[in-house]
Amino acid sequence: MPARATRRLLAWAPVLPALLFLAAVFFAALIDNGLRSLAPPSGAPWYDYYRQLATDPFYLQALAETVALAAATTLVCLLIGYPVAYYLVRHARSGRALILFLLISPLLTSIIMRTFGWRAIFARRGLMNATLQGLGLIERPLDVLNSAASALIGMVHVLVPFMVLSIAAVLEKIDPRVEEAAEVLGASTPQIFARITFPLSLDGVASGAILTFMLAMGSFVTLLFLGGGTLQTFPLLIYQQFNTTRDFGMAAAMSNLLMLLALALLFAQLRLIRRQGVL
Amino acid sequence: MITLTRRSLLAGMGAAATLPLGRAAFAQGRLTITSYGGTWEKAQREIYAPVFRQKTGWDVDVQLGSPSQWLSQIEANASAPPIHVSVMPVELALAGNAKGLFEKISVEKVPNLADVPKPFVDLVEGSGVCANYGAAVLGYHRERVKSPPKSFKELVERVAKGELRAALPGIGWAFTPTMLLWPLAEVFGGSVDNVTPGFEAVKRMKPNTVFWNSVTEFPQLLQTGEADIGMWYDGRIWDAYDAGAKWLAPLNPEEGAAMIPVAVVKVKNTPDIGWKYVDAMLDPDAQLKFAKLINYAVTNAKVVYPPELKERFTPWEKTKLPPFGKIAAVIPEWVNRWNREIR
Repeated sequence: MPARATRRLLAWAPVLPALLFLAAVFFAALIDNGLRSLAPPSGAPWYDYYRQLATDPFYLQALAETVALAAATTLVCLLIGYPVAYYLVRHARSGRALILFLLISPLLTSIIMRTFGWRAIFARRGLMNATLQGLGLIERPLDVLNSAASALIGMVHVLVPFMVLSIAAVLEKIDPRVEEAAEVLGASTPQIFARITFPLSLDGVASGAILTFMLAMGSFVTLLFLGGGTLQTFPLLIYQQFNTTRDFGMAAAMSNLLMLLALALLFAQLRLIRRQGVL
Repeated sequence: MITLTRRSLLAGMGAAATLPLGRAAFAQGRLTITSYGGTWEKAQREIYAPVFRQKTGWDVDVQLGSPSQWLSQIEANASAPPIHVSVMPVELALAGNAKGLFEKISVEKVPNLADVPKPFVDLVEGSGVCANYGAAVLGYHRERVKSPPKSFKELVERVAKGELRAALPGIGWAFTPTMLLWPLAEVFGGSVDNVTPGFEAVKRMKPNTVFWNSVTEFPQLLQTGEADIGMWYDGRIWDAYDAGAKWLAPLNPEEGAAMIPVAVVKVKNTPDIGWKYVDAMLDPDAQLKFAKLINYAVTNAKVVYPPELKERFTPWEKTKLPPFGKIAAVIPEWVNRWNREIR
């Protein structure tokens, strides 16, 4: 074997274990999933599962709800996460470690525990309603639990640290002297933020948005326990196909469609971001 | 400072390697069984496994998870299944049976089967046996519901009016078709073939109902005021009561709650000694210990419950036995309908 080819092979050697692992536990399963989704019950055409998913208004609405929830979660995470990341990098000095700890500590707790915590807060006799009633702001308890709002809050709680950390990592790299130079040249604080800091941090916003959106698309536990069936998303329907109806072919078709949709949206986001000169 | 020499390292590795062997040396083999989590796992490890071990010398590996997952594992590797004996709901036992995954049971293989009433064998079409059962009764908050409904019909009326808030199993819970939709359909004049009255009843209650999708959610929903009454398993209600939820009480509605048995099956192409484990699960002494621990009624007719335990169990004659096979066949259709009409 020529020396160049050997060198090329050796260069791949460090990633070989990871590739083998992926081949065994991911690609093989993906192929199996693909084959299952193309083998509907006898008599039906091979594409029948996909035909149902593409033509039945119920599944199309579920798909739309999946994307809409992921998009809303990403947007709220960005609105909450950016100021936190900015404060963390630019202003928090002694409290930085504490903020980082507070950000990361929810990730160390089981998602089930966090979700049940929200249930205790949102319940009719929970902390939120008791406080509002105690203050005389409401007469009857609000039905917050088992709604799209409680599901969204639960999702944001789970995913906002990913957004903050992605943005903070990029903000950290922006040279403060650039902002100082703008100030010296007479730019106001909002101008500096709008024309210098934010555009330079778009890298972090983009990676945070992609990460949050993808995680939200596949989210399941939070929706199951906080959505109460008000939202029908694809991960919930896939679970139902496995757990209740045991229609593995339909579950496979749904998961393939969800994956393709996620990849398409990821591709679209990357193109959009690259057009803006980010990443 | 500790100095590691090659000799001491090898000696240490040798000693470590003999540790698992030492345990295995006493066991003649290992049987893999399945279990639900929590006290159910405790029952398998501390009640049934010791009986089996004493009789056979075999050790037991307990695999936790969900019944759907166990059935898939068996199905995926039917010639050399990773599970030898499995507990599972009747619906899944019948699904596995239809695919020829389980062996037929007999008194010759399982002597304690002679003391189990025939319906508990017939339910799983002879490919296993029901070892214990609960009933999907109503559970209510004693302090908030002074006069609980006596029947399903009264429950539906009062929840529909907003007099009570209900916590009912949602479609994320695999057994909702059997424990909720079928009984309500029957109560309002329907059947497996005509489930519309069941759906109509759920729709009427929906504005004042919260649906639970995990079996552990129910007591929290009552405790936090999300609901006053709902549907849960009688054994679990007593479990929660014993654990401190003294405000919780069970009620078997006049029409009779659906019986939800737990079947035990021996998987094909696994060692015959697995039958001994099934026999241990039907052993009257072991079953009595199980009933005391889990608060689920057991199926060996020789078991004599102490009075305080007996009054907790819903007698199986006062429950309604769901037509599991017929329901299993229409579950996909019912789930689809729920998704579109109830959500």
